[in-house]
Amino acid sequence: MNTVNIDRDLCTSCGTCFDACFVNVFRWDDVEDAPVVAYPEDCVECNKCELFCPVDAIAVVPDYDGIWWPQIV
Amino acid sequence: MTSLDSLGTVLSTELLVVGGGIAGLAAAISAKEAAPDLDVLVVDKATNGWGGKANKGGGNLAYLDPEDDLDAFVEFRVRQVGGYLEDQELLRDFMSETYGVLQRVQEWGVTVFKNPDGSLLYVRWADRMPWRMALCEHDITMSMLQHAKKLGVRFVDHVALVYLLHDGGRTAGAVGFSVLDGTCFIVTAKATILANSNQCYRLMRRWASGRGDGIAAAYRAGAQMRNAEFGSFINWVFADTKEVCQGAEDVLYNAKGENISKAVRPEIEADVHSKEVVAWWKEMKAGNGPICANMAENYIMNVASEAFHSDAAAVRPLATAFWTRTIGKAMAASKKPGPMQEVMPGFIGEQSCVKVDHHMATTLPGLYAIGDTSATGSGWAGAVPTPPGRMRGAGLMNALWSGMRGGAAAAAAARGAKGDPVANAEQAAELKTRMFAPLGRSGGVEAQELIRAVQQVMAPVGYSIYKRQDRLEEALGKVLAIKERLPELSAKDPHYLAACNEVGAMVMCAEAFYRTSMERKESRGWHMREDYPDRDDAAYRKWIVAEDRGGEMVVSFEDMPADRYPIKP
Repeated sequence: MNTVNIDRDLCTSCGTCFDACFVNVFRWDDVEDAPVVAYPEDCVECNKCELFCPVDAIAVVPDYDGIWWPQIV
Repeated sequence: MTSLDSLGTVLSTELLVVGGGIAGLAAAISAKEAAPDLDVLVVDKATNGWGGKANKGGGNLAYLDPEDDLDAFVEFRVRQVGGYLEDQELLRDFMSETYGVLQRVQEWGVTVFKNPDGSLLYVRWADRMPWRMALCEHDITMSMLQHAKKLGVRFVDHVALVYLLHDGGRTAGAVGFSVLDGTCFIVTAKATILANSNQCYRLMRRWASGRGDGIAAAYRAGAQMRNAEFGSFINWVFADTKEVCQGAEDVLYNAKGENISKAVRPEIEADVHSKEVVAWWKEMKAGNGPICANMAENYIMNVASEAFHSDAAAVRPLATAFWTRTIGKAMAASKKPGPMQEVMPGFIGEQSCVKVDHHMATTLPGLYAIGDTSATGSGWAGAVPTPPGRMRGAGLMNALWSGMRGGAAAAAAARGAKGDPVANAEQAAELKTRMFAPLGRSGGVEAQELIRAVQQVMAPVGYSIYKRQDRLEEALGKVLAIKERLPELSAKDPHYLAACNEVGAMVMCAEAFYRTSMERKESRGWHMREDYPDRDDAAYRKWIVAEDRGGEMVVSFEDMPADRYPIKP
């Protein structure tokens, strides 16, 4: 499973990562006013959250070995 | 008596667009241009302007310049790509309008790169390919979103619309829910456009948003599907990272060091073909694997670099950063040095089978389908999964073009409707109950288990690329067994509830794929049958249609007006 690391010290709670995810990996913690990586198993390393974070607070670490793949032959 | 308000949040609009990717945005803008005071609402399961596939691909827009030879293009396309199954009139309409589409999107704030003399900058996928690809940046949907907002289009994020409402035969809106908090949403509309992608079965990562919601919604409402048998697209991937390996199709070698591409593909062709996948499969079956791509000979990789990244004329920092982070990370993680890299087919699907007419109207009054939702169902692409329809750049262009056509037509329909269709509360309540059923179920099966079960049927080459009657029957049997388990699905929250509804769409699309594939007892275009290796124009130069009748999927043939089409077998 991929890991999505958020540096809480750098994060400004701008919400860009939450908007950028096209498979709804993030949820928003209203109490902390911060993004939550709620469904990391759905992350497909498009990297948009990392790419568009204005303060470089996010890093997507793909787990290529962990990608499930059916028998195709 | 039930009222709509008692069921959840009710939104009323004149034109509902489901999906805020490139096609949905093009439709919303076009509808507003056609009727500025029309109320247009776009609803996306993720975030409008960010979702979809357009900002995660090559940024290539297929087009013909006014000076290009349209007849020559159509002849090439029909003879060498689409297997004589194209709606040739729609294909002509499409390609003859592409240059105008590029002019129009620039008025919407989209950057299309140009040469210093003002002409469009373009690349070709390969030499001699008779179409051009203009280039845009990955912010194309964001530019369109901003323009749509200026025109007054309304947007709702994070709501998955699952079922269509109808008033008699007329589409009256849709029912869905917030994937964040599970609130039920009922949207009433005079006309509805489905722009929420095609079926990509969630295996290949960059195509993960193509889950067939719109296809399934249309099917369940009674709309006809067409060309569902052409829904097994692949891209070659590196075996270790599953990242795409562009151009592998021309440089495949078996473990004995023999080139296996040359026999099936002596010359560069328009994009990947299922025949190379069959060659790969036969070599693997014969024990001649693993199969490697010789990257030292990979011509297309160089083209892809030019087509996808920045160069002096088309500076695309967003696209370049995207590829650097996706392919770049994969390359860094790849363990094997040297030019010989093991590859395999990565199943994508791109099943886009909602049948539409030349105005993107489905067979249901008031319901339209555009972009990837109806790309093969529209018929212009013939016997190939679309996009890209073995024509790079056709995905974005089809989305824009069909969005413009469908948006204008749906706006006219919304305005011309004699009396508003009424969303029936009893019907909405029944659909709400069905939609939410997995949430209240304990001890059932999780969506993930059935998603993988469907992938295990669709991805094997012998089931979906190299077809044979006995294997198709076996695969259909497996799909129907999964279908039996759908009522057991359980979800612990709205996110997983969305997955439950999506796996229903996957099963519906897989069933349509196998039922239609069995009826086409010939080989044509992408559709390859081991038991019927030849094209049979007398019997099968026809479209195959699938639809729901009383809960059963029924398949029939639709004659094509071949007499009117100039390019003949």
